[in-house]
Amino acid sequence: MLLAVLFSHTEGNILVERFHGVPTEERLHWRSFLVKLGADNLKGAKNEELFVASHKSVYIVYTVLGDACIYVVGKDEYDELALAEVLLVIISSMKDVCVKPPTEHRFLNKYGRICLCLDDCLEGVTGELRER
Amino acid sequence: MAQPYAKKDDDRDDEAEYSPFLGIEKGAVLQEARVFNDPQLDPRRCSQVITKLLYLLNQGETFTKVEATEVFFAVTKLFQSKDIGLRRMVYLIIKELSPSADEVIIVTSSLMKDMNSKTDMYRANAIRVLCRITDGTLLTQIERYLKQAIVDKNPVVASAALVSGIHLLQTNPEIVKRWSNEVQEAVQSRAALVQFHALALLHQIRQNDRLAVSKLVTSLTRGTVRSPLAQCLLIRYTSQVIRESGQNIQTGDRPFYDYLESCLRHKAEMVIFEAARAITNLSGVTSRELTPAITVLQLFLSSSKPVLRFAAVRTLNKVAMTHPMAVTNCNIDMESLISDQNRSIATLAITTLLKTGNESSVDRLMKQITNFMSDIADEFKIVVVEAIRSLCLKFPLKYRTLMNFLSNILREEGGFEYKKAIVDSIVILIRDIPDAKESGLFHLCEFIEDCEFTYLSSQILHFLGNEGPKTSDPSKYIRYIYNRVILENATVRANAVSTLAKFGAMVDSLKPRIFVLLRRCLFDSDDEVRDRATLYLNTLGGDGSVVETDKDVKNFLFGSLDVPLANLETSLKNYEPSEEPFDIDAVPKEVKSQPLAEKKAPGKKPAGLGAPPTGPTSTIDTYEKLLSSISEFSSFGQLFKSSVPVELTEAETEYAVNVVKHIYDGNVVFQFNCTNTIPEQLLENVTVIMDATEAEEFSEVTSKPLRSLPYDSAGQTFVVFEKPVGVPAVGKFSNMLKFIVKEVDPTTGEAEDDGVEDEYQLEDLEVVPADYILKVGVSNFRNAWESMGPDNERVDEYGLGVRESLAEAVNAVINILGLQPCEGTEVVPSNSRSHTCLLSGVFIGNVKVLVRLSFGIDGPKQVAMKLAVRSEDQAVSDAIHEIIASG
Repeated sequence: MLLAVLFSHTEGNILVERFHGVPTEERLHWRSFLVKLGADNLKGAKNEELFVASHKSVYIVYTVLGDACIYVVGKDEYDELALAEVLLVIISSMKDVCVKPPTEHRFLNKYGRICLCLDDCLEGVTGELRER
Repeated sequence: MAQPYAKKDDDRDDEAEYSPFLGIEKGAVLQEARVFNDPQLDPRRCSQVITKLLYLLNQGETFTKVEATEVFFAVTKLFQSKDIGLRRMVYLIIKELSPSADEVIIVTSSLMKDMNSKTDMYRANAIRVLCRITDGTLLTQIERYLKQAIVDKNPVVASAALVSGIHLLQTNPEIVKRWSNEVQEAVQSRAALVQFHALALLHQIRQNDRLAVSKLVTSLTRGTVRSPLAQCLLIRYTSQVIRESGQNIQTGDRPFYDYLESCLRHKAEMVIFEAARAITNLSGVTSRELTPAITVLQLFLSSSKPVLRFAAVRTLNKVAMTHPMAVTNCNIDMESLISDQNRSIATLAITTLLKTGNESSVDRLMKQITNFMSDIADEFKIVVVEAIRSLCLKFPLKYRTLMNFLSNILREEGGFEYKKAIVDSIVILIRDIPDAKESGLFHLCEFIEDCEFTYLSSQILHFLGNEGPKTSDPSKYIRYIYNRVILENATVRANAVSTLAKFGAMVDSLKPRIFVLLRRCLFDSDDEVRDRATLYLNTLGGDGSVVETDKDVKNFLFGSLDVPLANLETSLKNYEPSEEPFDIDAVPKEVKSQPLAEKKAPGKKPAGLGAPPTGPTSTIDTYEKLLSSISEFSSFGQLFKSSVPVELTEAETEYAVNVVKHIYDGNVVFQFNCTNTIPEQLLENVTVIMDATEAEEFSEVTSKPLRSLPYDSAGQTFVVFEKPVGVPAVGKFSNMLKFIVKEVDPTTGEAEDDGVEDEYQLEDLEVVPADYILKVGVSNFRNAWESMGPDNERVDEYGLGVRESLAEAVNAVINILGLQPCEGTEVVPSNSRSHTCLLSGVFIGNVKVLVRLSFGIDGPKQVAMKLAVRSEDQAVSDAIHEIIASG
């Protein structure tokens, strides 16, 4: 199950988030956890370099692209390799939309198209990421 | 003066703080959405407004029902525009707004038109939107188009239809199942993504039909699967088929193993890994089958991609639990992962090495781990500590190295859970490796000299008190213990006093010095410390000279409290101060089960129903009081046990009845708790007729009817049977509730004078051997087992046949015996092939019983059990075996 997809700025502001099957009270925890994970590990990381973390049976694969940090969280059949595939698809879409690694400004300028691409990428996920 | 020419930078300089959504506000955006109503639509402007709406929604802003409806209706007007970009945004916002069923109808015709459009993008997205917002009735209308779309030439359209089908399968399975033929055709598509989605949908459609899934897997494993994602799915389905076929591998190769093995040579890493993991997860996998999988995982260990390294080391870690020898070839590669930047990978590598290392590599491994420990978080450290503990138990001769390591890390910084894990590990090593005792105790003493956690200091002091006196030179620990009395907080000081007393009790030569120290404790500032010192000085007795301590004193100091704390608390609360002292032997020893009221599902009771039909929901004390108040029962003697209430009627019936079985030496009293749920009825002379044809050892003595049972009240009726004294007689009773029913006028609430006799069938009830056993736990099973002695021991082995799982077999035996599991041994770790369960209880006649169950399960799930029973009476040991033999 794909639990969450989250885009944040390198400084920690959440830009786009999608949760599935995560209760509202846990989302706050997830947001801060993921942002902290990125703050600890993504400094100085290269664009599109994949990072992986796990906590009990939940896996997180994340990366940085320009000013945006992208996190995908999953469990069970969405293990680390499946999540890596999902993240690669998202990165590829982002590059199509933004042409080069986006700054925050460029990201927000292209916000609508990014939402469309995310919707396309995640449509095929079992269980829809409609909740936010 | 001309300004110097400044080259305009790309994104950064003057836009560093600028955001297109700066100051965005919901009200303003909703106002802007009015542009959707313009006759001359500006597509770019409308797209911008929709983007702002999406941004608001993504920032957690919510629309009220009215606002969402207004926006939705406004958005529907945008279907007039032919702009492709705008149309795409319209599809997206419709999905985000999630219109209700009555609003969907507005947009249905536009979407259906788009479903048949020449523009592929329109067709694909219209399908996705419609399937997201529609319900079953509309679905039947558009089914034809969806079936066409599944086999559309354009893969985007086909995928959209297939994915929509996957989502719709949850809510309208019967409709989607009709698309099997089209989906089957789509599985053969040359487009990778279509094949992937089609395979996923086809499997979901057929997942309840084992044969169909098997056929699907058979055909695809022989054919061509282009998509790596589809390959991964196929590997998972293949694993499922293998699992369900339950093939006996001794008769030949496992089915589909060749296919899995061939996937190890696929060009996509994901497929290789999926195949390797599938092979390692095969049930009863052999070393020969594992070898090719482990070889490729070993290659992944040195990949430059952290995800692959993580995936490989995680899988190898799991394999190492069951087949450590198969993983030893990877040790060298894993040692290089200890310094991996990703700490998850490093921790997994270390714990795997700890499982697969041999005795000669322990020292080298410990050197490598020492540096590593400071880099990782506490939760990883705990994993490593537990792995080290297992390693030490595997190689007891290496205890020195490992114990030194544990004591070193105990001195370093760390949180409570981490330190507790280390202390627990040292304690276990001391218990299981006799040679490690002295050094282990010494390390623990050093730790408590500077321990910030009261819990741990208390735990260690208690342990010291039990183990220290048995060492060759107990006196060397006294200094550490007495330092706690001087330096620590009240809780630790009190514990230290108890520990000193234990030393004094066990080591006669130390008694004089212990007495001196205990007398000093009489001046402590804390009550508990002074009370304990006083208690122990009096208990140890004498004048502190070197004399042997009484056996009773040792039992008091070292024996376990065999009374459940909850029962003790209740009894103490009920004790009224009087001349008669509180008698701990009168505290009921039975562990309370969960009251039945909590087990009932909520919300099932009709309005107005009062107390749930369980009778007095309290402890055995209340039952005793109730029964002793009935004169006919007063001659039965001491009540041995009362069972939990057993329902004899289903939920929501007219009359709710449950029964409590009260067991005496020579009698059984059945207490039927009845509730009348019909407001228009009053029941009188309620009694239960019990047929004991299948309970030959029982004979009915008397019954006590219930005079009156109005609506919404609970009452009790009793039936008493006699049985042979001291014999745990069993039997089955069929029951009929008999009563006189009188109609009640709902307006006046008065019952008629005349009533009609009626009866109501109840469910059968059984008296089983477990009814004669009280669940009484022991806190230290080993001590209790040793002190029971083997005189009345009986050991035998039983085959339990094929069971669902080891846990299921263990639970079944525990329930049949009715004994209390001790020390958490009722929990069976997953994937365990063997398990030992410790049980204790008291048999009727007040005979203590201890049981050791050893279970083993093999490949075909045959479970064997060894039952060892010790008790104070050989007949009781035999009776326990008889329960299993006949159960």
